[in-house]
Amino acid sequence: MKLVLQLEHIQKYYGNEGNITQAIKDISFSVGQGEFLGIMGASGSGKTTLLNCISTIDTVSAGHIYLDGTAVTDLKPKQLARFRRENLGFIFQDFNLLDTLTLEENISLALTINKTPLEKIGPRVQEIAASLNITDILSKYPYQVSGGQKQRCACARALVCDPKLILADEPTGALDSHSSQMLLSTMQSINDRLGATILMVTHDAFSASYAGRILFLKDGEIFTEIHRGNDTRKTFYDKVLNVLTMLGGGHNDVF
Amino acid sequence: MMYFKLIFRNVKRSARDYLIYIITMTICTMLFYAFLSISSRYYRPDIGREFDLSILGGGMQIAICSVTLLILFLIRYVNNYMLLHRQREFAMQSVLGMEQRTIAWLFFAETFVLGAASVFSGILAGMVCSQFITAMLLSAYGLEYRLSWMLFPDTVLLTICFFTISLLAVGLLNVRTIRKIRIIDMLYADRQNELHTGRNRYMPTVTILHSIVLFGMILSGISAKYFYFDSRFALPVHIMFHGIIAAPLIAFVWPVIWLARRKVWGFERLVIIEMLCTFVSLCFSASVPRICSSYYLSFGSSTLGSDTGSNTYLMFLLADLIYLICGIIYLSGEAICLWKKKSPAYTYSGQNLFFFGQIISRLTTTAKTMTLICLTLVLSIFLFLAAPALTGWASGYLDLRALYDIQISTSYTGVYQESDLPSGNYELVDAFLEEHDIETAYNCTFSLYLPRREEFRNRVKLDFPVVAISLSDYNALREMLGYEPVSLKENEFVMQWKSIATREEQEEFMREHTVLETDAGTLTVAQEWGNEDALGETLYNRYTDVIYVLPDSVCRKLLPVMRNRYIQTAEVIPYTDALQLEARFLEEYPEVPVDGEGPNYYLRTRTNQVNETKASIFITHASMTYSGIVLMVICLTVLSLQQLLDASKYRYRFSVLKKLGVDENEIRKLILKQLGIWFGLPVSVAVVAAAVLAAYFFDTITAQISAYIGFTALLTQVAVTAGILMILLVCYFISTWILFKKSVGDCS
Repeated sequence: MKLVLQLEHIQKYYGNEGNITQAIKDISFSVGQGEFLGIMGASGSGKTTLLNCISTIDTVSAGHIYLDGTAVTDLKPKQLARFRRENLGFIFQDFNLLDTLTLEENISLALTINKTPLEKIGPRVQEIAASLNITDILSKYPYQVSGGQKQRCACARALVCDPKLILADEPTGALDSHSSQMLLSTMQSINDRLGATILMVTHDAFSASYAGRILFLKDGEIFTEIHRGNDTRKTFYDKVLNVLTMLGGGHNDVF
Repeated sequence: MMYFKLIFRNVKRSARDYLIYIITMTICTMLFYAFLSISSRYYRPDIGREFDLSILGGGMQIAICSVTLLILFLIRYVNNYMLLHRQREFAMQSVLGMEQRTIAWLFFAETFVLGAASVFSGILAGMVCSQFITAMLLSAYGLEYRLSWMLFPDTVLLTICFFTISLLAVGLLNVRTIRKIRIIDMLYADRQNELHTGRNRYMPTVTILHSIVLFGMILSGISAKYFYFDSRFALPVHIMFHGIIAAPLIAFVWPVIWLARRKVWGFERLVIIEMLCTFVSLCFSASVPRICSSYYLSFGSSTLGSDTGSNTYLMFLLADLIYLICGIIYLSGEAICLWKKKSPAYTYSGQNLFFFGQIISRLTTTAKTMTLICLTLVLSIFLFLAAPALTGWASGYLDLRALYDIQISTSYTGVYQESDLPSGNYELVDAFLEEHDIETAYNCTFSLYLPRREEFRNRVKLDFPVVAISLSDYNALREMLGYEPVSLKENEFVMQWKSIATREEQEEFMREHTVLETDAGTLTVAQEWGNEDALGETLYNRYTDVIYVLPDSVCRKLLPVMRNRYIQTAEVIPYTDALQLEARFLEEYPEVPVDGEGPNYYLRTRTNQVNETKASIFITHASMTYSGIVLMVICLTVLSLQQLLDASKYRYRFSVLKKLGVDENEIRKLILKQLGIWFGLPVSVAVVAAAVLAAYFFDTITAQISAYIGFTALLTQVAVTAGILMILLVCYFISTWILFKKSVGDCS
């Protein structure tokens, strides 16, 4: 399997001399093309810092990150913006849709920023909207649709440019259980059908059970890693819960 | 103790967010103090015995205080914003158990401290600024500038009282508001979505109000035609009379037609066509004062361009202008929407889609504020432009009319019997001057004659008779003012012109009057036929700009209708003496005859004319400049704050853009573009509207400008004013830009 993302001995420190916090101690892993990777961990385990480093929003203190062979950590600030828009797609907990634009325009925005020719924008948006089942609400503004619909629109925006890697930060954090389920099914289907590579950070065992592989972080290090393999989602969910119990804590609300 | 700490922490935090507001408050206090310092009891600049500054006091205070009341709106506006942004914090404090009353008073204390700090620094800055005002005052009185100390207890007290009351009033309103809000509402205040609340009802309301004004216009047009129209009038007058009925009628009928087909025709169509009709109606309204003054029409109680009818039409003109501005701002939002829709190639390239979203959402929700800002800016710019013209006119006119230390003039419009015509030499003036040890240097008592006795009964305004002066009297006046005497051959006459008459008017009149029929024979016009040297404005008959200069022998046979006396004294008459002389003269020679019939007598002293005119020029100039600056500063502050206070919203949007991969440079460009539109739209609409208004205003007073100011002098003044406005605008724009970039950059 071709590797899309490789992390080699990543470290991240915050603060200055005498008062240093080590958010990430030493993390190395890689993600193959078409993989759906989950990252779980308690608050303060370093998962958001890790995501920020991968997404180039933050810089690492030591180590290397390669995306599709490019050393992200060596890119100059001016190249970073371009790199982000061409290679990465984002799905955030709070959707990050622009309230001044309709859903269609929000999706188109990612394409226009990428300087896609005009004649390709319309068909591409329609195509992606159809696959996410949001064609009917494209002309609405974000405040006119439900949270689940907003998040599907955010998915569409992340997917529309065919990024090499989709980064999702607690995508179900602001959704009710039904919408969460819908969204996760959607994400799974874009992973299966479209072959998108997804890296999802979550602290919810149910969400994580949709992934193919899960990394567990603890105090800035990888604690363990489990694969779904041929398990059903239910079995995998139980496995996740077991690991969480092992990490120390109760049943559902470990984190 | 904890509360004090809380207040000061908040003040420190707010001071950063509301920097522009604090600076504006400081500027306003500074100007308020500086302009008011002149009316202080302790203000005693050395301007000589012939001047009295007390005339300034009352007028200045009222003018300045009333303009400054507008500051209340600014304070209220900023406070409302602060309230909205802080509600979540208030809710947290309530949840922690703090009484809502305490929260309200803490907020009050915080805003009060902010305001008080601005007022204090404003007074300090005002002391420096008042030096400029003194310089302005001294130059108005024609004196040189000297440095003077400017901390006056009464002005300080007045400034503090005025601003304290303003801050208190707004603060107490806030306290009331906070105490009334429910905790749950406060908690979720920032989640309310103010955007896209549907089309607001603002423009339809404005259209309805405008229709009511149009109805008034139709009625006054009909009544004007009914009472004042005459079929013998010239063609332009015919067009005007019909236009002021037809144009508003069409503009009034169009919305009614639209109502019947409103489902097919959009609201934009109504506005566009209504604006076109309004423009036509505006042109007709604008033509009224112009045509009235050139054809000597009267539309109301008094005469010429200043009559009530013309003033009504000036009001209509303003109403039309307001509607047009509302329409332009409204349609600009629609136009951008249309642009976005019709040119997808532009919309879907780079960050334009985001940019359109930013502008459209703001324009549709704040069209009302934008229009108000725009109108206020028009007023402000117009005040700036009109001030030099008006004051130049008044001071230029003063130079032309205050030529003699004492001027006694008469008018015979109230005299119907020849025996009642004025005569005598006004001896009481001699007695008065002797009594007060004022020596006379020149003295001339003379009559003005009607060339033909039968014209005495002619009182038609358009055809009022031109009077004549004898050559010896004319030369005596010229000698008084230092001009060379003129000579006349037998049976010849010359003309003396008012400076307001243009060369074309003079030549046209001369061509029609080369021969003058008099009761003493026929005279022909001399080779050197016209003089323009300023000899005072009281030398001419009513409604005329010329007098004939005739040989003495001819004048002796004519009917004298006016009796004037001009005196130059050896030294300047002190202010109090001048007032006394005028009062004493009035007792014996009333300005308005007691029983309505008889001559009107006028006595004017140079001292009093100069004093009154200079004081009123100064009040006008100072008040107009002050109002202009304050209005402008308020508008720019609101424009700037609207962007800065919403920075949190923009911060979020720009951070999304950044996450999507737009680089810093592009974001900076977008911010500049957004602020450019935000400042550019109202400012450019206002500049165009004010320029049109000013051009119209200058056009109506062209004669006065060329006679008393001169076009180059006026243009220089206008250019200087435009420069100052430009600097103000650039300063506000740049500081907003820097602060905006900083607050958006902070988070991304």
